[in-house]
Amino acid sequence: MRATAIAPATARAVHTGPSLIRVMVVLGGGATLVLTAMVVAVAIGSVRVGVGDTMAILCHRLLGLPLPRSVTPGAESIIFDVRLPRVLTAMLVGGGLGLAGTVFQALLRNPMADPYIIGTAAGASLGAIAGLMAPILVPALAIGLGSSWLGLGLVQVLAFAGGLGTVLLVYAVSRANGRVPVVTLLLTGYAVSSVLAAGVALLMFFSGQHLGAIFGWLMGSLAAAKWINLAFAAPLLVISAALLIVRWRGLNLLLLGDGPAANLGLDVEREKMMLTMLATLATSTVVAISGTIGFVGLVVPHVLRLAIGPDHRLLLPASVLYGAALLAVADLGARLAGGIPVGIVTALIGAPFFIWLLRRSRMVRPVVTQ
Amino acid sequence: MEKPVRCRHSPATVSAPRAEPGARGRESGRQPARDVQPPRVKGNGITMAPRLRLPSTLLFLVALLLAACQPAASGSPGSSVQPSISSAPSAAAHSVYPLTLTDDTGRQVTITAAPTRIVSLAPSNTEIVCALDACDDLFGVTDFDDYPAQVADVTDVVVGAVVDVEKVVAADPDLILAAGNGLTPTSVIDQLTGLGYPVLSLYPHDLAGVYDDISLVGEAIDAQPAADQLLTSLQARADAVATAVAGAEPPRTFYEVGVFEGSIYTAGKDSFLAALILLAGGEPITGDPASTAIQLEDLIAADPQLILLGDAAYDPTVTAASVAARAGWGEMTAVSDGHIVVVVDDVVVTRPGPRIVDGLEVLAKAIHPELFP
Amino acid sequence: MTAAVQTEILTEVQGVAFAYPMPDGRRRDVLRSVDLTLARGDLVALVGTNGSGKTTLLRLLTGVLKPDTGVVRFEGRPLADWRRLDLARRVAVLPQQLDLPVGFRVAELVGMGRAPHARRLFASTEADERAVAGALADAGALDLADRFAEELSGGERQRVLVAMALAQEPDLLLLDEPTLHLDLAHQVSLLGAIRRLRDQRGLTVLAVLHDLNLAAAFAPRVAVLDEGRVVADGPPAEVLSPDLVRRVFGVQVDEARTPDGHRHLALREV
Repeated sequence: MRATAIAPATARAVHTGPSLIRVMVVLGGGATLVLTAMVVAVAIGSVRVGVGDTMAILCHRLLGLPLPRSVTPGAESIIFDVRLPRVLTAMLVGGGLGLAGTVFQALLRNPMADPYIIGTAAGASLGAIAGLMAPILVPALAIGLGSSWLGLGLVQVLAFAGGLGTVLLVYAVSRANGRVPVVTLLLTGYAVSSVLAAGVALLMFFSGQHLGAIFGWLMGSLAAAKWINLAFAAPLLVISAALLIVRWRGLNLLLLGDGPAANLGLDVEREKMMLTMLATLATSTVVAISGTIGFVGLVVPHVLRLAIGPDHRLLLPASVLYGAALLAVADLGARLAGGIPVGIVTALIGAPFFIWLLRRSRMVRPVVTQ
Repeated sequence: MEKPVRCRHSPATVSAPRAEPGARGRESGRQPARDVQPPRVKGNGITMAPRLRLPSTLLFLVALLLAACQPAASGSPGSSVQPSISSAPSAAAHSVYPLTLTDDTGRQVTITAAPTRIVSLAPSNTEIVCALDACDDLFGVTDFDDYPAQVADVTDVVVGAVVDVEKVVAADPDLILAAGNGLTPTSVIDQLTGLGYPVLSLYPHDLAGVYDDISLVGEAIDAQPAADQLLTSLQARADAVATAVAGAEPPRTFYEVGVFEGSIYTAGKDSFLAALILLAGGEPITGDPASTAIQLEDLIAADPQLILLGDAAYDPTVTAASVAARAGWGEMTAVSDGHIVVVVDDVVVTRPGPRIVDGLEVLAKAIHPELFP
Repeated sequence: MTAAVQTEILTEVQGVAFAYPMPDGRRRDVLRSVDLTLARGDLVALVGTNGSGKTTLLRLLTGVLKPDTGVVRFEGRPLADWRRLDLARRVAVLPQQLDLPVGFRVAELVGMGRAPHARRLFASTEADERAVAGALADAGALDLADRFAEELSGGERQRVLVAMALAQEPDLLLLDEPTLHLDLAHQVSLLGAIRRLRDQRGLTVLAVLHDLNLAAAFAPRVAVLDEGRVVADGPPAEVLSPDLVRRVFGVQVDEARTPDGHRHLALREV
């Protein structure tokens, strides 16, 4: 005979999650924000194309509606070939970084974690710079800079491989007795990143006239956005996002600690590995197409947590939507400011805002100890 | 200097302009420092080593990039003291379209009709176009372009070394002249090519290369007679210089591109600048082919007999006196003999366009003043 | 309610030994050979000196640790044959202390206790919500449901932890020194609540306690762990004799009686 719960007649049903209204407001608001940001970012740029023309072009290309004669081919090309892929890339990157940042902050139980923290940035940077420099050092590899394999240059491929490979290495090194303690993961990531960063600096020193290109990549930029890059990145990001969003329960449980989470039925080590790998997959994909854009993965989870609470059920999808909107807007700002790297814009806007929020809020520490 | 300091060099660079003064690499994308454990290093080790000051940084880097121009893998240094190689005059008087050309990066570019709307992404390309009397066909230039004066009225599609693709598209070009070797970012070239524009990348690594580029552009825009004429006069002047310095003893010449917080930058080994100095009758002291830096002790050991201050043209703090006062420099022959020459117009020395022969003449006059009164 | 007729064995520990691997490669023996049987409805207090292996035994009972020798069975099957999730639906642990993440309401935290039973991808079921409500009510924390974790006092936090464990709707409840950080009033109230819950819900309870008198007052059965073995197991009056206390704990105590007849152990002068 199994034990049964005897709920006294007076106990009301208690809601253990966000109400439907809250979900609609947060996610619906996020979706609206994303759509608005997309339209605004596509409509505005250094060359003036009216909103009406913009909508007409989008409707024509996406829905097949006829194009008014007043729209010039140049404008059409600007909207559809230059701006739209860039805005979509910004949204994909922003969403990916926001999500990965949220996952890492919970996984590592560290509010200062960002998607790059366990080595993705250092590894991807080394890969990308090696890709940039390879055609110089080994002329036979000149395919990297010029043509590319299915639109992906040597730089993208090596950046992706570098990011993913580094995290695999860090994970393997951190494993002891079949367990991967979170602190070990962090410290190993730090150590490996330092070594790789030294390698990057060395390559930069010998890069000569390519220093500019390297620097531009490191700052992170969406200027090179292409439809073909999107074609590769989008499926990877959608899949990893979907697989991460459904793991919200595990992330909530991990906040309780490894022991209690295991007692509640979570396969802690396996979950940590899945989360790390999926988040790293998303991050590496993003870095491969846009370089290392900072700040989004750190700030978006925090701001959202302060605004809607730490329950990952809502936090994960929200981080995708609001991260996407944020970067689309930041990239618009970067374009209008003369084509500066978008990472500078996110830092300039994000840092003061974040400081203000921290001062306002009490919810700084992730846990309350007994 | 009468003008406010701004970069007058070519070609457009993609590095320094993005850095705010004092910005350090990745850190500008990061949050302000905290002491919350654990420390992160994602790239704090990656910094632009010298603290850079715009715009002398700009100018310095641009000159640096030029000085580092490497010959392509074929390796011919073009450093012969022979009279400059002359390009064969084009056989046809008119170009036939559609026309497929191979540019300096080896890409095959097809031009379907005689271009009437040209966009140039580098000042040297602009000068070539204008030297071929096609200045009126320019509808997009860079903000560094300063010669001839009439290009100031043309829309800038490259601002601060950043190519604004939207503006390029808005200019509706039928020919785009880019700079090779990564000076126009490859991603931009890919993007423009992907949008359907013919993009010719020019990247001369020696004087012969400049002649070839003039020829190439002439063929591209159906201006071969003008190109031939230009080449004839340029080659004649270059030959005259070569002849004049033929017998003279070449002094050990150090061309100072920039000195930054202990690092000295000069013409890289086997670079365009080194080749030019050689042609002008000097024996260039060169730096590392990749970084163009030279260690002070190596410079002292090389003992230049003549120092040309290329950076004095854009940095007013660099003078013969300030150079002589530098620690360790006093022992050099050039300093003790007072053979320190300010290069007034370094643009012509470093911009690989039609006026490069002017630059050759400037160098020759500085190296052998007695031969060029 | 006594489980007089129910003698179904819930958990069985047979000949279990466990040693912790040390950094220098050696192993530290903690449990040498432990035999312990819990029938359904049992209420057992586990006492012993520091380092005698009490917490280790608890972790072996949840399956987090695997015994070096011997076997732990639950509902007749060795733990190794159990899926982690199935076991979590039946066994709950009330830990010594738990870091409660900031920003969650108590209801949401208790809702985490429903994780092993989760059926739907994003939403909770009605059964979940009723279980949470019941757990909160039974733990006396219903009024705390909308409060945030960081606002709670120590005693309130303790009640939330109890609710979280109850939300799992377990058959076996393991308590790991739950009274360690509590004052006397809260100790008594917590243990009283556990006893009541065991009666109400038909739980089986094993509580690791350090206070012998509290153990005696709380549980009808006490097991004493010493040097990796269970050296005594039975009613507290028999088990907690001054003789055993001197042998195991090295302290001389005397039996005493309270005015209403309850037996307790009195310390001689310190």
